[in-house]
Amino acid sequence: MTSAAVRPLRLQVGRLPVPWTVVALLLAAVVPPLAGGTALLSDTHALVLAKGAGFAMAALSLNLLMGYAGQISLGQFAFVGIGAFVTGMVTGVEDLRLPWLVGVLAAAAAGGLLAFLVGLPALRLRGLYLAVVTISVAYVCWQGLFRIESIGGGSAGKVIPRPYVGSSSFSSNADFLALALVALVVVWAVDAQVTRTRIGRAFRAVKADEQVAASFGIDVAATKLLAFTLAGAMAGVGGAVYGTAYGTVTGDTFDYATSLLLVVIVVVGGLGSRAGVVIAAFFTVLLPDLLVALFGSGIRGLDLVLNGVLLMLTVAFNPEGMAGAVRHSRELRRQRRGGEPPLPPTRPHLPDLGRPAGMPAPRKTRPGTAVLEARGVSVRFGGLQAVDGASLRVDRGTIVGLMGPNGAGKTTLFNALSGALTPDSGTVHFLGEDVSALPPHARAARGMGRTFQLIGLAKDQSVYENLLIAQHLAAPYGVLAALTSLGSRGWEKQVRERADHTLDGLGFGRFRNTPVGRLSHGQQRIVEIGCALVTSPELLMLDEPSAGMSPAAAEDLAATLLDIRDQLGRTVLLIEHNVPLVLGTADELYVMDTGRVIADGEPGEVVTRPEVVTAYLGQAVTA
Amino acid sequence: MGQVLVLGLINAGIYAVFALGVVLVYRGTGVLTFAQGEIGTLGLYVAYVLVTEQHLPWLVGAAGALLVTTALGAAFELLLVRRMVAADPVSTAVLTVGLGLTILACEFFFFGASPRVLDPPFLAASFTVAGVVVTPTQVAALVVALALGFGLQAVLRRTDFGLGILAASQDAAAVRLVGIPLSRITLVLWSGGAFLAGLAALLVEPTVGTVTPGYASELFVVGLAAAVIGGLTSLPGAVVGGVVLGIAESAASRYLSDANIPGLRYVTVFAVLLAVLLYRALAPELRRRLAPAPAGATA
Repeated sequence: MTSAAVRPLRLQVGRLPVPWTVVALLLAAVVPPLAGGTALLSDTHALVLAKGAGFAMAALSLNLLMGYAGQISLGQFAFVGIGAFVTGMVTGVEDLRLPWLVGVLAAAAAGGLLAFLVGLPALRLRGLYLAVVTISVAYVCWQGLFRIESIGGGSAGKVIPRPYVGSSSFSSNADFLALALVALVVVWAVDAQVTRTRIGRAFRAVKADEQVAASFGIDVAATKLLAFTLAGAMAGVGGAVYGTAYGTVTGDTFDYATSLLLVVIVVVGGLGSRAGVVIAAFFTVLLPDLLVALFGSGIRGLDLVLNGVLLMLTVAFNPEGMAGAVRHSRELRRQRRGGEPPLPPTRPHLPDLGRPAGMPAPRKTRPGTAVLEARGVSVRFGGLQAVDGASLRVDRGTIVGLMGPNGAGKTTLFNALSGALTPDSGTVHFLGEDVSALPPHARAARGMGRTFQLIGLAKDQSVYENLLIAQHLAAPYGVLAALTSLGSRGWEKQVRERADHTLDGLGFGRFRNTPVGRLSHGQQRIVEIGCALVTSPELLMLDEPSAGMSPAAAEDLAATLLDIRDQLGRTVLLIEHNVPLVLGTADELYVMDTGRVIADGEPGEVVTRPEVVTAYLGQAVTA
Repeated sequence: MGQVLVLGLINAGIYAVFALGVVLVYRGTGVLTFAQGEIGTLGLYVAYVLVTEQHLPWLVGAAGALLVTTALGAAFELLLVRRMVAADPVSTAVLTVGLGLTILACEFFFFGASPRVLDPPFLAASFTVAGVVVTPTQVAALVVALALGFGLQAVLRRTDFGLGILAASQDAAAVRLVGIPLSRITLVLWSGGAFLAGLAALLVEPTVGTVTPGYASELFVVGLAAAVIGGLTSLPGAVVGGVVLGIAESAASRYLSDANIPGLRYVTVFAVLLAVLLYRALAPELRRRLAPAPAGATA
């Protein structure tokens, strides 16, 4: 009834300014020292909670990797160990004796560096290779690195002294707990900051679909490496706190099983939910003592069994974890209060936003140079020649159609043009430049926008968020700017304004915060075209945009395509099966069959050619 | 040199059998399983209870172990994998992490951290090759690995059921449409993978003689790397990966013994694994650089 119900959810990814968890942690950090330390908390409990803070940071690091970027590390606790031992080496009495803060920074640097080196080969390949490699890392560190005397301190372990400021030291556990919680809040804040920026958006895009992310100009391999490096650094900080809480650590503190425990925490807490993960981390640290207190010491060790079972049940039956359950119950409550009635969007009126300031101007070409020109492109999949020496040319300011029966190789050719796959032979020129060897994100940066047959959007993200993801290249600030929010504000403002304009132009204002996956198929198509256009690319490549649309919607789409050409002055390459749509919009038509271009020319004439009719309808039976 | 080879091959068989289990499940379902190591350890504890505590013959213990591990694989598929809400391969892989952790925790809970003794079956029957004492089970491990690697490959390629498995990995929906019982295929794959994990652990156990929690996982780490080195989808490749890592490990321990590197096994595996992945990541680029003039680009 009222729009007041559209309040951002607290436990959802990346939209929590100051959630209650942070407030609670800050209070917990400040109150005990003020109240005289041990008065409120027993020394033992304070120690457990301080370890919990370190554990929570480690869990947040894995959450960044798994929950945001969709990569799995099964050896994250090794990075925690690196952080702990490096802290000991930097601050230790027999080592460098530097201040604790230096130790923490060194721990972050060491964790990040190790992750970078490990991720460099493992993350260039698609698949679960990082998981395999990180298991090895866990064993190399636990059984190897941490047993080296100068690193792990031998059987006696490494001593990590508590920090001191002037005369006051943090030797009491309650005092150190305060420091640990402050560190947790800082890590939380950095994490929250990163998720709000283009880097966090790139993580989520890569998690949703690597190919789609690349089409928005996101360098997938570099993004995954960055996520793993940041996670390594965060785990390093967690290790500094965890190790300092212990005071003395040995290699066995950082065994393989504890890395798996972090996976439990992140999945059970809820992938992508900071609050859920931190709560789950503290709960996991407290669980052993809790069980013993409730059921006696015979039960010791059962906590790990419970954790394993909990992980299996969560993955199998409640994959969104604790946070997901909370979110669903809130949404149900809101729906009962009468949520937003969905309105059919009006016909989109796309604004001409111009090339964004952050992106390089498209290459200047001489008159007569084609926007896109492919020569002799061939792609082979095992025994199947999917595309066989196909050539095509797209001139500026035209709509070029590409038709052909199913399996003709249209989408494969599209992928070769956009860089999603490397052809076995042939060249692709874009605006007169040979882009044959460039990866898809580099082609996107040069002004190539595309959509996908199966909707190229991050389905779990909102419409607005997708419009931001699509502008990855339009806000070209670096990692440091993203971490500190310095220098990124201006870019973010521009990007958000463009997203708002596009949202209004599409008539999708009501669906701003709706996850794309909940829109109808036709609506998703419109959003996808809006995302492809939001950076004003020179060339728009659309893969079956009318598939799954009603006839009326397809007519609207035809009008929109003409708008894109005539009002916005863009060039369009269009794969379509809908003949009226192609005839009504295209200036030129190519027809493919069994991998080859069999006809091209004026659309109305091309569709009447016998070889085209044969390709679609088969050979006439009569002789 | 001969010594390095023999020592390498002794371990190679074990690694290969672990790798085969991984490849079998991955080939048919697209899921990378991380629970193999702990399933293997569980089998050893079953054998320990039957042989050491109940004084039953070793072979009865081994049979019991294989029975329990296979049944566990089947139960895992029936009770969890099959019922998953989001049944993508990554989620299922995390599910196997949960299984591994649960078994590991149970081992600690029921048997404690101290090693349990499980005597080898044929103690006296060892012989010497190239100055290395070799036991029958070590030979058996290599023979079993080779037989399984090539035998299972033949089953996949030559039998209807095997072809069904291969087809299922390509397009599960189409396979169901043409009437191949997909649920039976996945059930067989998961139980088969678990059976291989139990077998691998039984083959290595006589060499060591004791069981501790997480014991077989230490070998499974190498087996998993072997599967990846072999390309993850090739059964003979898994055997080759096992041999490569086995020999690399024995060579490292022979020639780097003075350096006194702790955890040398894992350092070696890690180094080989990274090198292989790096090569694979860079291979397309290298091939393009090294290739002669691109053929057919002159249309």
